[in-house]
Amino acid sequence: MEGYRKYFLSKLLWFSVTLVFAFMLNFILPRLMPGDPVRAMVSRMAQGMTNATGVQAIYQQYTELFGTNKPMLEQFFIYVKNVFHGDFGFSFSAYPRTVASVIKASIWWTICLQFPAIIVGWLIGNTLGALAAYLRKGFDKVLMPVSIFVSNFPAFGMAVILLVIFGVGLKWFPTSGGYGFDLIPSFTWSFMWSVIVHYQLPFWSIVLIAIGGQAIGMRSMSIYELNADYVKYSRFMGIKDRKIVGYVFRNAMLPQITGLALSIGTMVGGALVAEIIFSYPGLGYTMLNAVMGQDYPLISAATLIITLMVLIATFLIEILYGFIDPRIKAAQAD
Amino acid sequence: MKDVALEWVIDMKIPRLEVKELTTKYITRFQENIYAVDHVSLKVEDGKSLGIAGESGCGKSTLALSLMGYYFPPLHYTSGEIIIDGRNISGMDPDDVRKSILGTEIAYIPQSAMNALNPTQKIINFIEDVVQAHDPYKTKKEVHDLARSSFETLGLPAEVLQKYPVELSGGMKQRTVIAVSVILSPKVLIADEPSSALDVTSQKMVIKMLKNLMENGFIKSMIFITHELPLLYNVTDDIMVMYAGQIVEKATAKEAVFDPLHPYAKGLMGSIIVPESGLRNTKLTAIPGVPPNLKNPPSGCHFADRCKYVMPECKVTSVGLREIFGGRAYRCILSEGELREVYSKEAYQNAR
Amino acid sequence: MKHTLKQVFHSGKFIVGLSIFVAMLLIVIVYPLIVKYPPLEIIARGTFFPPGIYVNVYDSIGSPKYTLNLDNAAANRIASKLSDADRTAIKEWLVADGIPENQIDITDTKSLLDLWANNYDPTKEVSGMTLAKQRYYQRLDTSLRGILSTEGVSIAAKNAQTGALEEVGSVAQTDYANVSQVPNVRVLPLGTDNFGRDVLTELVKATSVSLQIGLVAGTVATLIGLTLGLLAGYIGGLVDDIIMFFTNLFTVIPTFVLLILISFSIGQEHRGAFTIAVVIGFTSWVWTTRAVRAQVLSLRNRDHINLSKLSGHSIVHIILYDVLPYIASYVVMAYILQISSGILTEAGLSILGLGPRTTEVPTLGLMMNWAMIYQAQILGKWWAYFPVIVTIALVTFSMNLMNTGLDQVFNPALRD
Repeated sequence: MEGYRKYFLSKLLWFSVTLVFAFMLNFILPRLMPGDPVRAMVSRMAQGMTNATGVQAIYQQYTELFGTNKPMLEQFFIYVKNVFHGDFGFSFSAYPRTVASVIKASIWWTICLQFPAIIVGWLIGNTLGALAAYLRKGFDKVLMPVSIFVSNFPAFGMAVILLVIFGVGLKWFPTSGGYGFDLIPSFTWSFMWSVIVHYQLPFWSIVLIAIGGQAIGMRSMSIYELNADYVKYSRFMGIKDRKIVGYVFRNAMLPQITGLALSIGTMVGGALVAEIIFSYPGLGYTMLNAVMGQDYPLISAATLIITLMVLIATFLIEILYGFIDPRIKAAQAD
Repeated sequence: MKDVALEWVIDMKIPRLEVKELTTKYITRFQENIYAVDHVSLKVEDGKSLGIAGESGCGKSTLALSLMGYYFPPLHYTSGEIIIDGRNISGMDPDDVRKSILGTEIAYIPQSAMNALNPTQKIINFIEDVVQAHDPYKTKKEVHDLARSSFETLGLPAEVLQKYPVELSGGMKQRTVIAVSVILSPKVLIADEPSSALDVTSQKMVIKMLKNLMENGFIKSMIFITHELPLLYNVTDDIMVMYAGQIVEKATAKEAVFDPLHPYAKGLMGSIIVPESGLRNTKLTAIPGVPPNLKNPPSGCHFADRCKYVMPECKVTSVGLREIFGGRAYRCILSEGELREVYSKEAYQNAR
Repeated sequence: MKHTLKQVFHSGKFIVGLSIFVAMLLIVIVYPLIVKYPPLEIIARGTFFPPGIYVNVYDSIGSPKYTLNLDNAAANRIASKLSDADRTAIKEWLVADGIPENQIDITDTKSLLDLWANNYDPTKEVSGMTLAKQRYYQRLDTSLRGILSTEGVSIAAKNAQTGALEEVGSVAQTDYANVSQVPNVRVLPLGTDNFGRDVLTELVKATSVSLQIGLVAGTVATLIGLTLGLLAGYIGGLVDDIIMFFTNLFTVIPTFVLLILISFSIGQEHRGAFTIAVVIGFTSWVWTTRAVRAQVLSLRNRDHINLSKLSGHSIVHIILYDVLPYIASYVVMAYILQISSGILTEAGLSILGLGPRTTEVPTLGLMMNWAMIYQAQILGKWWAYFPVIVTIALVTFSMNLMNTGLDQVFNPALRD
């Protein structure tokens, strides 16, 4: 474990720096716009609200909470402090619910949907890509165009297609929601089943897109590795092809893991849109409603949370990579 | 012209490796044939080493790949025989070749050994895999003992075994690859430009190691491929010069360096700075021009375009390998006597 | 160069991709020249008209009449009027009346109607039938009689003076009008969307706008990426460290989220198509920077560059003449990818409602947004979203195909 310390620490440092930067961006960007953002937001959304006292209350609370009448720097620290307390203020569009409660309700749906989907898609995609590179001929000639085609489908495109074919056409799966409208969340079997059924379409649309993208990458990587010198040499030394294939895929996997870390941001973005298509009660849907309702605090908080999730995921993957790649271990052991 | 009287004496020695009229080709994307190895024949005997020299692209590396039976597109076997220890492997089942020939009878040291080792595998694990592929019944301990003793004999520290390739220097990697290649005591070792990518000090260590291999009995004979001619004189017994896929000269090292017959070989020897006592006074020469495009091989002598002594017949008549006394051979339309006359005439004119 | 071009055009994938792309470009350019309807013109009162040829009924009455005697005219007329529900209801009544079920085939209109005509009696009492249902059958019978009659209909107009209806003309069942003689016909191959706009015309315009957005975004992103990559790769040192720092930062922060933030902050009024395109370009340069930098790094120590340095050429000169030509192929591929990803990103943003203004120009993403908000997919109005998806897929597919083709040319190991 000693050897990993340097690696781990450097990754941790990086994570922290990025975190700070993300906070800053999240804070600064909306405030760059001229005018008092709070007033503008409140006035915009007050057009929809008839409750005058409600509007006043919101404005007051927001100003107090975020101190928009104080200098920028102070505002920033207040902001950070609030975030760490989980206090994002009231949601404009879902008043009187707080932003925190809205996010809390939706965040689990997103996490449970997206991360398993991305991982499963990654696994299947890489396996298919590796097989295509190894078997070539027939399998490859079929897989390649299919993968290219599928990976080009925007995430929402795949979502819509699955929705239409399986949801509306064949009526195998429900077309929206996280669970049946008539059910109340509880630990009953019927509720669980409803959740599972509603989970299928969004899950598979994300998985399919992920497969397409990963398969192509893995195939290229594997072909590249298959032509590497050590493959030739191992053959010359009489080692069986099967064993060599094992070497190749182990080596091709590594950049794929790194690739996953790099692309998880994009994948999450695409998955969010897929959620929206299915009206799945996750962060994507929350975001949509927030935008439609001009709910500034909710949007701000949601983007921050999503960024945080991606950051943490990237960090975990990089740590994992450190364990898997023996060269890292070796480089640290000195 | 063969000297029949002495032939049977030479044939008494059964060569460890014999290649007869081997021809292999590359097939390009546009379905064109490029004959990179064109009717090459050679013999290597126990205790002897053969050097193959030639400029880049003459086919020497392809020859090495072909000898190992490594035919993967776009490289294809066309005709000829490769006989190792009396067994013709050209028609053998690839799996048999893999198990009984590769690594045990004939081994190969690749050109840039830097990349020949799997970056994510420890040296010792790779050796385990190699041994296991040929002899699945050896225990791990036996393998480790074998590895350690081989490395020690060859002057490599045993710690190298536990390292990953990324932790070794270039020279060390090359020597490790050599050690791994001979771990199963192959009879013939093919070294493809083993020292080209190294600094001079490492080069020396590598050459020394290779020479030791034969002395230590790790290998019985060696084929040394390089474009660096001065090296061959010090390392090998016989030298073969290749040009545009064909052998143009076969002779002992001394003969090849001091008395080359083929104009190309002659030009090559004249282009190197060799502090050998016989050659110190010769002028440096360069051979103008480039090798022919093997997509459309010329019908006559491949070297005709660049030959100083070219005659009209050279470009149209196909020229075969002439064998003369002592196992020497060269490829030219002129007989030995005629050729020597041409050379002495030239030397005379230069001296004036 | 010539050899490269020859190989490029020899590559199957590239040709296919290019053909699709060029085909789309041609459609986008030529269609507005032929069909001059403004794309966002609301022409339908009502939502989601299905695709078809819309013939003005008023005009067709007045058009020259032709008599055609088609055999199955009557059957077609009836078949279209009789819904599945009605047929099942007829069958139920007949079964209740005592007719054996296996004699009733609801798909055979003629025999079904014969059975009905022979057996239906409004006075018959069928047990368990509600009053409403009885009335339903009566109405059904009346309408069937109407269909089955062979008389035409009369056209009546109000007399200007008396206010009474007078017959001014009649239409026989065998009267046909020639569509090309009807003055007002509108072909809507893809129907209308929820606002009542011609989907096809909208789609073509939207494709054009999206392509432009993609182009702008791609150009911006590639330029930024190229510049940063060149500087980072060639100059190295502190410049490299700074650039890489920012690049890594932007890699991890999901750009999509960033875009949402920026887009929202800009506000509805400022969100023109061009602005969005530029913003997208400014957030998607990361991958290109990294790729260019890697290439430049590997080139940096090549001999011809050292030679150039020795000759005293300035850094700019070296970068332009010695480095750029070698990475050109890579940059072209990156550019294609950036364009296609720009289009996709805009689509994603628009679906969220953060895309370009909805009132000026349609984009592919916006059309998806409208379809979604108005629940087109659930209502089964496939024409509102399916063609859009296919278009998006085709555009990105063709570009990526071109890219893969190019990749195979420049990278022989990937060839089949």
